[in-house]
Amino acid sequence: MRIQIDGRDVEFEPGETILEVARREGLEIPTLCHDPRLDPAGACRTCLVEVDGWRRMPPSCATKAQDGMVVRTRTERVGRHQRALLALYLADHVQGADACETGAPCELHAMAAKVGAPTDWTPLEPVRVGRDDPNPYIEFRADRCIACARCTRYCAEVEAVTAISLVGRGSKTTIGTVDASSLLDTSCELCGGCIDTCPTGAMTEKRPLLQLAPPERQLEKVRTTCNYCGVGCQLDLNVDPATKKIVKITSPPVGTPPNDGNLCVKGRFAYEFVEHPDRLTTPLVRGEDGALREASWDEALDRAARGLMGVKERYGADALGFVSSSRCTMEENYLVQKLSRAAFGTNNCHQCAAT
Amino acid sequence: MAGLVTTFGAGAMTNSIREIRDADFLFVIGSNTSEAHPIIAMEMKQALHRGATMVVADPRAIWMTNLAEKHLRLNPGTDVWLLNAMAHVIIEEGLTDEAFIRDNTEGFEAVKETVARYTPEEAESVTGVPAEDIRWTARRYATTERAGIYYTLGITEHSHGTDNVYALSNLVLMTGHLGKPSAGMNPLRGQNNVQGANDAGASPIFLPGYQRVDDPEARAKYEEAWGVPLSPEPGLNLNEMMKKVGGQVKGLFVMGEDIVISEPNVSRLEAGLNNVDFVVVQDLFLNETCRFADVILPAACFAEKEGTFTNSERRVQRVRKAVEPPGQARADWEILVDLAARCGADWGYTSAAEVYDELARFAPKFAGISHARIDEGIGLQWPCPDDEHPGTVYLHEGGVLRGRGAFQAVEFRPPIEMPDPEYPLVLSTGRTLYHYNAATQTRRGLGANAKQPAAFIEIHRRDARARGIESGEMIEVSTRRGVVRCRAIVSRQVRPGSIWMPLHFPDARANLLTTDAGDPITGTAEYKVCAAEVKKLDAATLDESEREPARFRGSYYAERGPV
Amino acid sequence: MARHPKDRAHILERVQALGGLTPGVAQQVARETGVPEAEVYGAASFFHLLASPDTKVRVCTGLSCQLGGASGVLAAARAAGWPVEEVSCLAACDRPPAVMRERDVFVEVTAEDVARADGWASLTSRAEPSLDWTGAVGPVDADPDTLAMNLLAPPRYDGAALARSLELGAEAIVDRIEASGLQGRGGAGFPAHIKWRGVRQQAETARYVVLNADEGEPGTFKDREVMLRRPDLVVEGLAIAARAVGADDVYLYVRGEFGAPWRALEAAIERLAGPLDGLRFHLHAGHGAYICGEETALLEALEGKRGMPRLKPPFPTEHGLWGAPTLIHNVETIACVPGIVERGGDWFRALGRTEPGSKLYCVSGHVARPGTYELPLGVSLDELVEAAGGYVGTLRAFSPGGASSGFLPASERGTPLDFKHLAKAGSMLGSAGVVVLNDEADLGFAVREQLRFFEVESCGQCAPCRIGTRFLREAVDQYRDQHRDGGKPRLRQVAEAAWEMNEGSICGLGQAAPLPLTTVLDNFPEVFGADPD
Repeated sequence: MRIQIDGRDVEFEPGETILEVARREGLEIPTLCHDPRLDPAGACRTCLVEVDGWRRMPPSCATKAQDGMVVRTRTERVGRHQRALLALYLADHVQGADACETGAPCELHAMAAKVGAPTDWTPLEPVRVGRDDPNPYIEFRADRCIACARCTRYCAEVEAVTAISLVGRGSKTTIGTVDASSLLDTSCELCGGCIDTCPTGAMTEKRPLLQLAPPERQLEKVRTTCNYCGVGCQLDLNVDPATKKIVKITSPPVGTPPNDGNLCVKGRFAYEFVEHPDRLTTPLVRGEDGALREASWDEALDRAARGLMGVKERYGADALGFVSSSRCTMEENYLVQKLSRAAFGTNNCHQCAAT
Repeated sequence: MAGLVTTFGAGAMTNSIREIRDADFLFVIGSNTSEAHPIIAMEMKQALHRGATMVVADPRAIWMTNLAEKHLRLNPGTDVWLLNAMAHVIIEEGLTDEAFIRDNTEGFEAVKETVARYTPEEAESVTGVPAEDIRWTARRYATTERAGIYYTLGITEHSHGTDNVYALSNLVLMTGHLGKPSAGMNPLRGQNNVQGANDAGASPIFLPGYQRVDDPEARAKYEEAWGVPLSPEPGLNLNEMMKKVGGQVKGLFVMGEDIVISEPNVSRLEAGLNNVDFVVVQDLFLNETCRFADVILPAACFAEKEGTFTNSERRVQRVRKAVEPPGQARADWEILVDLAARCGADWGYTSAAEVYDELARFAPKFAGISHARIDEGIGLQWPCPDDEHPGTVYLHEGGVLRGRGAFQAVEFRPPIEMPDPEYPLVLSTGRTLYHYNAATQTRRGLGANAKQPAAFIEIHRRDARARGIESGEMIEVSTRRGVVRCRAIVSRQVRPGSIWMPLHFPDARANLLTTDAGDPITGTAEYKVCAAEVKKLDAATLDESEREPARFRGSYYAERGPV
Repeated sequence: MARHPKDRAHILERVQALGGLTPGVAQQVARETGVPEAEVYGAASFFHLLASPDTKVRVCTGLSCQLGGASGVLAAARAAGWPVEEVSCLAACDRPPAVMRERDVFVEVTAEDVARADGWASLTSRAEPSLDWTGAVGPVDADPDTLAMNLLAPPRYDGAALARSLELGAEAIVDRIEASGLQGRGGAGFPAHIKWRGVRQQAETARYVVLNADEGEPGTFKDREVMLRRPDLVVEGLAIAARAVGADDVYLYVRGEFGAPWRALEAAIERLAGPLDGLRFHLHAGHGAYICGEETALLEALEGKRGMPRLKPPFPTEHGLWGAPTLIHNVETIACVPGIVERGGDWFRALGRTEPGSKLYCVSGHVARPGTYELPLGVSLDELVEAAGGYVGTLRAFSPGGASSGFLPASERGTPLDFKHLAKAGSMLGSAGVVVLNDEADLGFAVREQLRFFEVESCGQCAPCRIGTRFLREAVDQYRDQHRDGGKPRLRQVAEAAWEMNEGSICGLGQAAPLPLTTVLDNFPEVFGADPD
């Protein structure tokens, strides 16, 4: 089965949408409410295209390709639509990218620039209301919300806790919780998927360091693997290049295995421990008095080596036990078993992972 | 792990995480997936959104049971009865995959004979699950093409954990739900690198890559590479080691574990620790075990070092350094290299990548994996035997790895400790969403403290009422091994007669209560069943902060869940 | 969690029964139904009658009620300190102004009525104390054989049309509908038989028939009159439709402000119980949302969700209520069915002048006898107003089909009021709610009020409508405020926004919402002193 997009003859699989086919072909169609993890909503209207023989422009995200369809994404009508639509969005938004993109990027400004939308339409009176919420992680900024419902659909379709929903109607449509309660008092699991999917930074992290950090595009992103459960989610540590501190964790693009852009409360937020003042910063040894005291690496390692060798000398290698950790890396586990087997001569090496 | 090696020939998830969303039937047993593996739960939720059917077998009502078509609320420790009865139905109704059994398995007759005695009706009287639900589940499982089994510690943390795994394997083998996408048998790994730690040989019986220590050929390879003779004697598994601390075991090296929180029956362990000559602890924090340490070495956390983790679906992925460790803390691998040098072993590694290369060189399953290859892409799933191999998405395609899948007939054995008049409640322990293991990391976070500010047990309102306990109050839980104080959450999640407690809290260590009786094959302790009693604490014994009831905010399904 | 979507259908009703969206109510309904509490809350917050439970009195500020003195009533109620708010059209434009006290609608309410009342709870209308009021209908001297519905005739409960339809069989019924040329009377004018056949040809056997009785277009009140005067036609028509498309369940979605029509339908179902045997009729109340007159928004509301229109295709005939094939019709359309079945499609077709059938025209505003008039489809404004007793004052402008049709100049007074001709004139027949304005009316104010109506009633789902309706209204407000200082409307922005609303909106509301402004800019350039910037 084939369709034609912008003059290109393209094959498609039954069930594919126009947007999916177009993106596979490298054709850019702007979207705001689209997230491949979610059912298409067709609500933001940015992805409308012309289809020969159709009176109205359908949303490409929600329209299935049909054999013989002729699709046009670059016509004067599509362009005029994109410019006027984005001008309306901007009239109902925080004015100016610099004022808007604090703490989180907003796709609107770059998209408006790209399609050449006027940015001087008279701004509207702000009418949407937010919600005071003492939860420690997730902030909702109503003035940046475009009611695309990605967050609420994510919460229902992917996270399936439905803690938030569209609330109110018309121009006052906002994102709310039951009785405007704190997320802490709802079924919310603080996964932060709403933040990940939000295209305008209306849903964002409440992190003190973030408020002082430069815009997200200037942060260094280090792709790594989450250190909690066995799923092995990929995540990006966002480091402020000035302070060399992690200011937030974001998920890699949708489609990256194994987590497909999803994270849980621990993966996305529970990294406070990294900077925690309780971290051990120096080796400690127990003195004659039974109390721990700080020591140099040399002293501590000598003491450790002598202590373990001493047990082996006195009782034999099998009097030693090596407890490795399923929290540590492959390489470290390899080295512990090598230490146990090759340096001390015992197979008494395990970690709590025998299941 | 051992169970799956026996039945299929490889101890890992047979299928990949991304395949779950395309499954049409999900049988989830002994897994509180949305709390212990939230991302896998999201895959399951997406499958449900697509129209898949899920059955959850668990003694507790959990969030996933809200979403399930059926909740098989079995009595703790009766899994073998349930699973054998399902097998009974599948055989009785002719729903087996005869061709698969003939071509790919062995030992079916013995299983057939055994499960013939496990009728659904009798199963109902033992497990408490209606016979009709057992039949329905068995039929749906057997007759759905893309039907996957997902389990976690609710299956393995039993004195008959290996039997449970065998009974599940039998279901997979008799229906042929193996070697194809979105099906199979999928143990969801608890820790980030459980799979990897085993793969890397941190095991008393396996050298890296599941090569047995008593296999002379395997040993010879490493003896040559490392230049030392190796012991052919299998070592102590963790459970045995912990029991022998202070006895046979006189010296301990503990890296990244807080054993006096995470191991069962810790009063006994603590007594043993007072009786050892020497303990080294290497960790991020001054954890509880440090009380017994002679030397404490400060380690770098995952964001401060290079390396790899291997996830539940056998995918080797990179850990990358983003920030410097605090003070003088160093990466565990660097510390180990220096420690080995002082013990007379000069390894000479200058990077984690070199360590991985050595691991891969002698373990055929990982031979094609290296840091450099992972850096080019998105992680590699073993088996990956050479540099050109793309990795393996799901196992057993075109034939069971073991050659033939081994059916294992298993008989029901009751848990080791059952309730009695003195300890009339069944205590199970587990994890919650907001905390992680010994909580050394998570209790230093705001979210966990906002949602779960204190240690707690869940108790059914009937049992609570009988003891005059209100939600949020301080109570005392006791077993034959110990006593802890914590808060009560009066909850409809647990059934009458059962209580449930998270293992995370250092001020209320669940493992003072648990039994260290374990599975005879893996040594895994029966964290899921022991006998206990709960009593309300006299207000006079409480300090100021304890008198205020604790608030567990938004514990939606605890308060409003199914009756 | 509700695994069976029908559990969800009653959540809005439950919220209403519990007194609206006060704290704790959504949680209670969530517990009862298994629907997540945020979804209950989100759905209920969509509907005005549920979202503001403390408001007890609602004054209609539709255009005809404004012309009839609504603002004085509103001011009096505010002065009395009542819990009062403005409400979009209450479908009583023929007897303005209308006021709703809780869910009871009074008509011809005056400021004196408010002053006389001892608190809001005792408000009534001296002119019309009954809640079972009806409006004027006509023409009184018409030959009944020329009327498809004949609202002046007494209802019949003999089930004759239904019996006739059973003799004919499903295929013959649909043939008659096709021969009649019946077009949907709700506004779109879509040929009815295509829907019927569309449902019939689906493989899925669970099918539904849905009645759209959510009449709310300002200027429109004909369905109210049909339900009050001839509920027999509605119920029998639904039964015939259900038999023809193979549905056992019929859902009637009646706007929440229609207490009396609801009771009339209920009684008619009761009286026709014998002939209806085997069919299940389900009455569902709306809760204050004009958009639920859009058929897919209505289906969402029936399912217990926010009334946001669905993307089309797929159309309800294929994927309707709970995803099943669904035949959904406006009250008037359905009320035409018994006559067509009994007297044949050709008879019905011949009743029209330029298009098939007779048609219920509502007329209000500056005419002598506002009301509902059944006339051949295609009469002119002058003919319609003649039936309604003539103009009051000199005709300046008229809105032929509710707010969505914009304003036409007096020069169009001879144009046939039908689907085709009005579309050509840049307007639409819509629901045939004709509002007549004489030369004393403030047309700028009328535009502003129509725009505000769309802004308040926009569902908010898609940006062109959600933002555009507000953008246009604010532009007009700014113009009217600054007019004295020589302010000019932001014509270029307004034109682009209006174009975009029409092109980009998901449903007819947003697509038509700019018409009140754009038709006035075109037809009455003097109103906004427009010289393009």
